[in-house]
Amino acid sequence: MNTALRRRRLGIWAQVAVLAVICVVWIYPLLWIVSASLKDSLGVFSGGLGLLPGSPHFENYARAWQDADFGLYTVNSVIVTLGTVVLVVLRCALAGYVIARREFIGKRVVVGVLVATLFAPGGLTIIPVVELSDLLGLLNSRTGIILALAGGGHVAAVLLYAGYFNRIPRELEEAAIMDGAGFLRTFFRVVLPLAGPVTATVSVMTFLAAWNNFLLPLVFTFSRPDLRTLSVGMLAFRGTNSTDWSGLAAAGTISLVPLLLVFLALQRYFVEGVAGAVKS
Amino acid sequence: MSTMTRKAPAGGRLVPARRRGLAARIWAERWSYVFLLPTVVLFGMYTIWPIVSGLYYSLLDWNGLGAERPFIGLANYREAFGDPLFWKSLGVTLLIIAVTVPLRVALSLLVALVLNNPRLPLAKLFRTALFVPVVTTTAIIGVVMGFIFDPAGGPVNQLLLDLGIVDQPVDFLGDPATSLWTVMGVHMWKWFGITLVYWLAALQTIPVTVYEAARTDGAGGWAALRYVTLPMLKPFLIIIALLTAIETMQIFDLVLTMTNGGPFFSTLTTEVYIYQQAFAGTTPRLGYGAALGVLFGVFTLVFAAIQAVGLRYANRVRSSS
Amino acid sequence: MTVLGRRRFLGLSGAALAGVLGASGCSRTSQQEAVTTAGADVIRWWDHFQPLKPLYERMFAEYGKAHPGTRVEHVVYNPSEMGQALQLAFKSNQIADVHTVAGLGSSEAALVAGGWFSPLADPDAIRAKLPADSLLEGLHVFDGKLYTFPVFTPRQYTTLTWINRELVEKAGGDPDAGPATWDEFRALAARITKDGGGRAYGWIQGLQFQERMQTHVTELAMSAGAAFAIIPGAGEMGLVDPRTGDYPYASEPFVQALEFLLSLVRDKVVFPASTSLDARTARARWATGVAGMFFDGSWNIGVVNGQFKQFAGKVGVGPVPSPDGEPVLYGAPAQGQLFVSSKSRHVEAASELLARCTGPEFSRALAGYMDQVPLDLEAVATADVHPTYKRAVELFGRNVRLAPSPVSRNPAVTQVISEMKEQRPTLGEITQGILSGEITDIGKSLREHNGKLTAERERATRVVSGKGVRVSLDDWAFPNWKRGEDYTAEMYRQ
Repeated sequence: MNTALRRRRLGIWAQVAVLAVICVVWIYPLLWIVSASLKDSLGVFSGGLGLLPGSPHFENYARAWQDADFGLYTVNSVIVTLGTVVLVVLRCALAGYVIARREFIGKRVVVGVLVATLFAPGGLTIIPVVELSDLLGLLNSRTGIILALAGGGHVAAVLLYAGYFNRIPRELEEAAIMDGAGFLRTFFRVVLPLAGPVTATVSVMTFLAAWNNFLLPLVFTFSRPDLRTLSVGMLAFRGTNSTDWSGLAAAGTISLVPLLLVFLALQRYFVEGVAGAVKS
Repeated sequence: MSTMTRKAPAGGRLVPARRRGLAARIWAERWSYVFLLPTVVLFGMYTIWPIVSGLYYSLLDWNGLGAERPFIGLANYREAFGDPLFWKSLGVTLLIIAVTVPLRVALSLLVALVLNNPRLPLAKLFRTALFVPVVTTTAIIGVVMGFIFDPAGGPVNQLLLDLGIVDQPVDFLGDPATSLWTVMGVHMWKWFGITLVYWLAALQTIPVTVYEAARTDGAGGWAALRYVTLPMLKPFLIIIALLTAIETMQIFDLVLTMTNGGPFFSTLTTEVYIYQQAFAGTTPRLGYGAALGVLFGVFTLVFAAIQAVGLRYANRVRSSS
Repeated sequence: MTVLGRRRFLGLSGAALAGVLGASGCSRTSQQEAVTTAGADVIRWWDHFQPLKPLYERMFAEYGKAHPGTRVEHVVYNPSEMGQALQLAFKSNQIADVHTVAGLGSSEAALVAGGWFSPLADPDAIRAKLPADSLLEGLHVFDGKLYTFPVFTPRQYTTLTWINRELVEKAGGDPDAGPATWDEFRALAARITKDGGGRAYGWIQGLQFQERMQTHVTELAMSAGAAFAIIPGAGEMGLVDPRTGDYPYASEPFVQALEFLLSLVRDKVVFPASTSLDARTARARWATGVAGMFFDGSWNIGVVNGQFKQFAGKVGVGPVPSPDGEPVLYGAPAQGQLFVSSKSRHVEAASELLARCTGPEFSRALAGYMDQVPLDLEAVATADVHPTYKRAVELFGRNVRLAPSPVSRNPAVTQVISEMKEQRPTLGEITQGILSGEITDIGKSLREHNGKLTAERERATRVVSGKGVRVSLDDWAFPNWKRGEDYTAEMYRQ
């Protein structure tokens, strides 16, 4: 018994050692980016793969933050991303709920269309989206960016919610209705709070996509550079004949931090959410 | 029908379903329609409308710029069927899927099984480390990978030389014979974390009591894995493989930053080719690009359907035997 | 309960949508006021000249002083993203008052015909400040109206041999002149590689960037005796033999140029990672001292000086290498860079701004940034610049002749160009295929490519003339062109 226990413990530590090695190799390229953000422009290319810069050049960050207006861009990115996340969560939860729980005329059509569009390649959609947004007076505004980012796609989110709601015992809703709660009240007070993990998952995935999206915020802010997001702001580092690599690395690091924080904060729910949804 | 009667009224009156007319049935489900409204409107504006426009563009001879865009019927489609580079790009995309999807799904399952052990120290840290590449901007990954696979002193080549596996440095990204494999490797590295999270999620759905039951039955670690865990994961396989495959089909920015489809078309994926045709050439051809996009969408749909049916069939055969 | 629910619902999701749509109204964004700052007129200016940003911003500041209440809003684009940005901005009426046309892939003539630009206000003031002969119909002037003017010289090329003086000197080469002939280049590259012992190579190039490789091959072919009439901006479709008007790609100089590059690959004197580098990263790696020679345009020293200052002292430059050491290259007429948008409501002010981009003083200031060479070559002599920049400009003056352009004789040829479909693999892609060993028969692949281009041009010409446009294959040939001489504006009229 004792030896078996010891052997198992040894086995676990062996696993940890292997995983640790794998993970170090895995994140090495990212550490390299962080280190490049502290080198001067020649150092990025002459240092080879060494991670430690001779003397750290924090001015790359200063350049990104001040010259390239990354302070302002960060605020815009946060507003646009949060707006998109809220809108996506709301619309997908509402749709997912009725798809999971209600039988209504036209449901098959709705589900069929949603699933079919999963396979539509996305590259060409930008032109019609711009034409439509222009028609509605939505260009040059954060609202327009948010609507476009939240409006298209996100079929997976709808399906995640639908899958999750399918598994909630009907008794809960029925009890709420018995207590005199209406359709809406039941949804917002009882059903939606139960879907916390899915909401976390959808939030992380939407956050990722919205934060890194480039073309849409670019097109929507032609006449309003003050509304640009971080990903668009990175443009400033790439010129006709040269690229400011260390500045770009600094900007990349700046824009990576919020993403990591969101993942770290939500990762437990994130995994649970996917779990809850794929189960059905 | 009976279910319908049961849950029709949410605060409304109870009316037997059979006797109601169409309007009444719609009225009874009015809240469902209200709930769907935001999705229907937004999705219609930002997904359906662009797809319909794309279909229309594909019938035009249009560079995406001028006001002149004559209608040319199916000429773009006819050209696409005779376009060797389009077929080549489909082949490249399919090869990427055929190689990376099974590998990624299998390897991430392996890692997920290890990470799922509640007694494993630092599991959270490992999980995060493996997920980080997913959130990193692609633009800069291209540069880093240039160094990692550098034929003059890059670490991968150094390792291979030191181990005596090769005697000449391999030009991973620059040789048409290896570039596609290198791109596949980097793509797997970048998106491994997402598949891992899917599997971890799937593993969480297996209640701890199942393991305990297996253990009291005298099953060891391997036996528990073989006879308990894996069979329970089977239903997830279809959905995870499908998600991974769809996401791989649209491999685009990574290729664009690493090789731009080259050298000599060896890494030309369909999305990259569509982009080149529609926006990037000396004379951009949005109409033709749109036609390629429509064809590609149809192929993807067919491919996904075949895959889903095939997997389901395989499962059925296996479970019945 | 339901009432409460309904209200709540409206408050939560309906408002998000209805409110937004309602608040912004159903007026097109493009019809709304584009003025962003109350009280001040804003002229919006988009270009793709990252290194020249301070130059223009100083100019804008001066302009602002002269015109209080007017402000210029400047955005610099990356040329590869600019084309798409322009397309979408033009379509949605958001385009800047003044902009360049990088990445649009359309000729000036097509854009003018498409209604993109306004003619410049007060053209005579601008004409007066430009050297004679620099304005051509079909490129800058349309229907007698002036739309734009060249800012950079037509006398330049992209295949200067930039050298690392230290490595070249150690290998016994001349650090001041660089190798003159192909054989010298090859021998020197071999010696540098040998001396380098795996740490330095003879030649580095961004072989992955096939459009740029196409330029290098074309210029090397010229150094081997090819001559061209050129439609600027049309890439390989706009390059023909001036005597016959035929495509030149199957000719001997192209085969020789490709064989020259291939010999460098076979000799193993090419920096190994070159195959996966683009021009920018190749330059950055070159600046770390891993290779002796690097082909690039005059801007190379500007970028090195700005970004890799430590290396600037080691840089030398020589002409494009040629078989006999006496290259003659033909430069396309300089295109206009800056245009005033047809959507602009500040045409006069914008034209006045543009007028400030002419004249020797502007040329001198421009030279100071060591980017592309200004229109006025003499301004460079008195400018405070790195010696290699002066030498590069000198070499340009000595080696480059003005090529004739079919556009200036019949602007309708650009309609043929835009009707033509790209024939892939392109020359750049073929080059990539040859250097990577995927294509082994150089002559055959070039002949096939030339044949495809010829057939496509005939087809496109038939289509365009079928629409009643007067255009023919004769528009591409220039019987009065003379080898080794400038084709002047005068000669178009003969």
